[in-house]
Amino acid sequence: MPESLPPSVLKELEAVVGPSWVLTEPDRILVYETDAQTAHRFPPRAVILPDNTREAAGVLRVLYREGIPVVPRGAGTGLSGGALAVEGAVVVGTSRMNRILEMDPANRRALLECGVINSTLSAAAAPHGLFYAPDPSSQTACTIGGNVGENSGGPHCLKYGVTTRYVTGLRVVLPDGEVVWLGGLGRDRPPLDLVGLFVGSEGCMGLATEVEVALLPLPESTRTLLAIFDTLERAGRAVTAIIARGLLPAALEIVDQNTIRAVEASVFAAGYPVDAGAALVVEFDGPEAGLDADAREAEACCREAGAQEVRRARTEEEREGLWKGRKKAFGTMGRLAPDLLVQDATVPRTRLPQVLARVTEIASRYDLRVANVFHAGDGNLHPNIVFDRRDPEETERVHRASREIMAACVEAGGTITGEHGVGVDKRSYMSMVFSPQELQALREVKRVFDPRGIFNPGKVLPDPEEEGEPEVAPRAAAGGEGDR
Amino acid sequence: MRGPHRRLLEEMAGPGAVVSGESPPVVAPSSTEDVGRILERASREGWRVLPAGLATWLGTGATGEVDLVLSTRKLDGLTSYEPADLTFTAGAGIPMSHLRRATSGEGQWLPLDPPGSERGSLGALASLGTAGPLGHAYGAPRDHVLGLTLVTGDGRVLKWGGRVVKNVAGFDVTRLSVGSRGALGVITSVSARLFPLPDRDVTVLLSGYPEGESAHLARSLAAAPLPLAAVELVDPLPGLRDLPDLPRGGAVVVRILGSKARVEGVEAKLAHEIRALGRGEASAEPGGESKRLTDVRSRALHAGLGRWEEGAALVLRLALLPSRLPQLVARARGVMEELGEGRLSAHAGAGVVRLALGRVSGEEGERRGGETGRWAGVLGRLRQELEEEGGSLVLSSGPRALVREVGAWGARPGEGRLLEGLKRTFDPEGVLAPGLSGSGEGGRG
Repeated sequence: MPESLPPSVLKELEAVVGPSWVLTEPDRILVYETDAQTAHRFPPRAVILPDNTREAAGVLRVLYREGIPVVPRGAGTGLSGGALAVEGAVVVGTSRMNRILEMDPANRRALLECGVINSTLSAAAAPHGLFYAPDPSSQTACTIGGNVGENSGGPHCLKYGVTTRYVTGLRVVLPDGEVVWLGGLGRDRPPLDLVGLFVGSEGCMGLATEVEVALLPLPESTRTLLAIFDTLERAGRAVTAIIARGLLPAALEIVDQNTIRAVEASVFAAGYPVDAGAALVVEFDGPEAGLDADAREAEACCREAGAQEVRRARTEEEREGLWKGRKKAFGTMGRLAPDLLVQDATVPRTRLPQVLARVTEIASRYDLRVANVFHAGDGNLHPNIVFDRRDPEETERVHRASREIMAACVEAGGTITGEHGVGVDKRSYMSMVFSPQELQALREVKRVFDPRGIFNPGKVLPDPEEEGEPEVAPRAAAGGEGDR
Repeated sequence: MRGPHRRLLEEMAGPGAVVSGESPPVVAPSSTEDVGRILERASREGWRVLPAGLATWLGTGATGEVDLVLSTRKLDGLTSYEPADLTFTAGAGIPMSHLRRATSGEGQWLPLDPPGSERGSLGALASLGTAGPLGHAYGAPRDHVLGLTLVTGDGRVLKWGGRVVKNVAGFDVTRLSVGSRGALGVITSVSARLFPLPDRDVTVLLSGYPEGESAHLARSLAAAPLPLAAVELVDPLPGLRDLPDLPRGGAVVVRILGSKARVEGVEAKLAHEIRALGRGEASAEPGGESKRLTDVRSRALHAGLGRWEEGAALVLRLALLPSRLPQLVARARGVMEELGEGRLSAHAGAGVVRLALGRVSGEEGERRGGETGRWAGVLGRLRQELEEEGGSLVLSSGPRALVREVGAWGARPGEGRLLEGLKRTFDPEGVLAPGLSGSGEGGRG
C-alpha cells in the first residue's frame, strides 16, 4: 500500500468535496486499482470524487500546491493502463459529474459533464432524432471524459471518424486548478487547436470536466451483411474490393477463426459456422435511397472474393444477430484462457494481409494462441493473445511476442495504437514511432499544461533514460516523408 | 539590413533556391533538411521568417515585418499514393490542382474547398486549416490530415502522425499544427485521407427570396436531416459573369454528392423540404424558386466560390451558434452598411458568415490612417458583441494597420499562456511570423 495522504491534506480535500467523497479505506479503493486490462494493480493513495467543476478545481489546487500526482479516471474501461495510479498518485474520479447540462437539438450539440456514459448520451439524443457517433465497444460503461482522454474509436468510425471529430469544446481544469474554456461550437478556433491537442492526451494535460459534442442525425436506414469466408485472406480481399468500388460503408469488421470458435462455444453463440476461416460484417447507413444498391455491390464484392455465404439482415433483430459475433468477441475470449492481452495497432489497409500473416507466424513461434478481431476498413487490428498470468514463462513469451507484433506493424507503415492509447503498456514502444527529438517535444508540450509534472505521471511518454534503442528504426516504413 | 544575404541563403539551400532577391528575399529550398538549416540559422541570427506556399495567399501573416519569406513551392512531389488505402503523402508545395488531377485519375478526391485552394498548395491548405462550403459534410482540413512533417522555428525536423486513419500514439501535434498559420514551424510534407469521387455532383440554386428570408431558408435546410454536401448563402452570386440568365442578388446554393440513386433520392427530399418550409411559419415567402443548375453553370459557380475572397481588401469571418444564422447575417449586413460595399457568403451549417469588403482598399487604407480608427472601432465593437454571445470575429486578411489595431483573433481568458507556451516549445526564438498575438505581427510582436 502506498503511504496515505497527510491528515491536514485529507481534511482540506474533505472540506472541498465533503467527507463521504474522499475514499481512503482499502476496500473502497479496491476497484480503482486497475483498468479493463487488469494486468497491473496500483492502489491509489486516495480517491476523490468531486461533484462539479468548482469542486474539481478546488481539489486540484490543493494537490498542486502539495505536489501530489493526480490521475483522472472515468469508468476504468481503458485498455492501456492509462488510469492506473502509479507513482503514489491520487485518483480523481468523475463518476459524480454525470449530468447532461444542455441538449441543443437545433444546433445538433450537447454539453455534458465528463462522467456521462457514452450510450447514455446517444439514448438522450435519440428522441431528437440525433446520435453521438463514436461507439467504442465499452460504450455502455465508458464515459465521455474517458473517450476524450483516449480519443476513442469504434466499429462505425470508418465512416464517421473518431472522438476528436465530435468534440467541439472543453471546459478544462488545468493541473494548477485554473479553469479554462477551450473551443466551442459557433466560435472559430484560434490558430492553435487546443481542443484537438487535448483530445487523446490521456489525462496528461488536465481534467476536462465539461465536454461539448456535436451530434449527428440518426441515419434513416441501415443495411447489414455478414459474409463467411474459408480464409482470412479472402475476407481481406473482399474488403479491398469494397473500398476499390468507391463504397463507403459505416463499418467493415472482421473476426477470425479463433474468435468465431470462442464466440460459438459461448452463451453468445451467433450462429457463425465454426469451421469458417473468417467472418466479415459490412454495414451501410444513411438515407434509404441508394442503400440497396450499395449493399448489392458489397455482396457482389464478397462473392467475387470467394465468400461461402452472405447473409443479409432483414430486421433489427437479425441485424443484432449478425453483429453479435463481433460485439461479444472480447467477452467470450475469456473462455479460452484465464487472461487476455487485448492488443491494438493500425497499419495501412492494404498491408493487412501481410501483417496478419506476420502475426500468425510470430504467435506460432512463441507457441501462443492469438484471436484476431479487427476494424478492417481502418486497418486497425486487435490481435488478442490468450494466456495464463500464473505461468511466468508464458507471460514473458506474451510480452516478447507483443513487442514483435508492434514492430511488425510499425515496419508496415503503421503505428503502435489506433484507439486504446499508450498508457503505461506502450510507453516502451514509443521509440518505435518517435525520434528522441520528437519525444522531447512531446514532453515539452505536456510541460506547457503541467509544469510540475504531476498530471498522470508515468504515462504515454517514456523517461528519457528509458527510451533505449528501438528495435526498428523510426519510420522504417516505406513511403518517405511524413510516413509512419 | 539585418536579414540574410542572397549568397548566404544559396550556400545553405543551393544555387537557384533564392527565387526573389527583393526585400525581403524569397527562398525556396528543395529539401526538408534545407528548410531545417535555414530555420536553424534564422533562430541563431534573429531573422524573422514568413512561411509561404506558392505565395498566392499570404493571409494576415503578410502584414508583419519580415526578413525572409520561406516558400515550400519546390517541395512539390507526390511522395506516395496508395489508391487502395485512400491515402497519400505529398510535399507541402504541391499545387492543389496537381493533386486533384493525380487523384481524380483513380476516382478519388480530397473534399476540401477553402477559398483560394485551387490556386494554392497543399501546405497552405493545411497551414491555414480553413473549411469551405464542403465543410458542411466533410469537415475541415484538420479532419483529413493524417500526418505531417513540421520543421520548427529552430530547425528541428519533427514528424507527426502518419498515413493510417486511426492513430493515438502520443499527443495530437498533427491537429495542433493544422491551422497554425506557420506559427509553430514550416510544414514540409502532408499525409491525408481521400474519398471516393462521387458519381453525381448536383447543385440546386434557390433564388428570388426576400433578403431576410433566404437566411432562414438556408438555416432550415442545413438543419434538416438531409445528407447535403454544402448549404451556402451567397449575396451576390459569384463567378457567373458569363451566365447572364442566372438571377441577381442573394441565393442559397445547395450541393448534393453521391451515387445516382442517392442523389436522386436526396433531391426529391430536398424539394419536399422546400415545399414544406413554404407552408410552415418560419419559412420562405412565395416568390422564390429552386432549380437544378446544368453542369457548366454548377462548375462556374463553385469555381467562383473558390475565388470568392480574391481582390477583397478586408475579409472577415463572423461566427455564432448555427441556429442564430439569420441574426448573424443581419448583423453582417449592418457591418457592410457601415464599412462600405461588400459581398457575403455564409456556411449555413457551421454558423459562419464571411464578409469580403472591397472598398477598404489596402494601400489606400494605409494612407488614410484616420479611417482605420473608425473601422477598428466598428470591428472592435462587433467582436465584443459576438464574443459575449459565445461567437467570434476573425480578420482573415486586411490592411496591416487595421489588423494590428484590432487583432486577427480575439483572445480568451486562460488560453493565452497555453498558446504562448506552445509557441515557445516549437519556435523558441520567436522567428516565425505570424505570432499568436493575433495582431499579425511576428513572434516577438
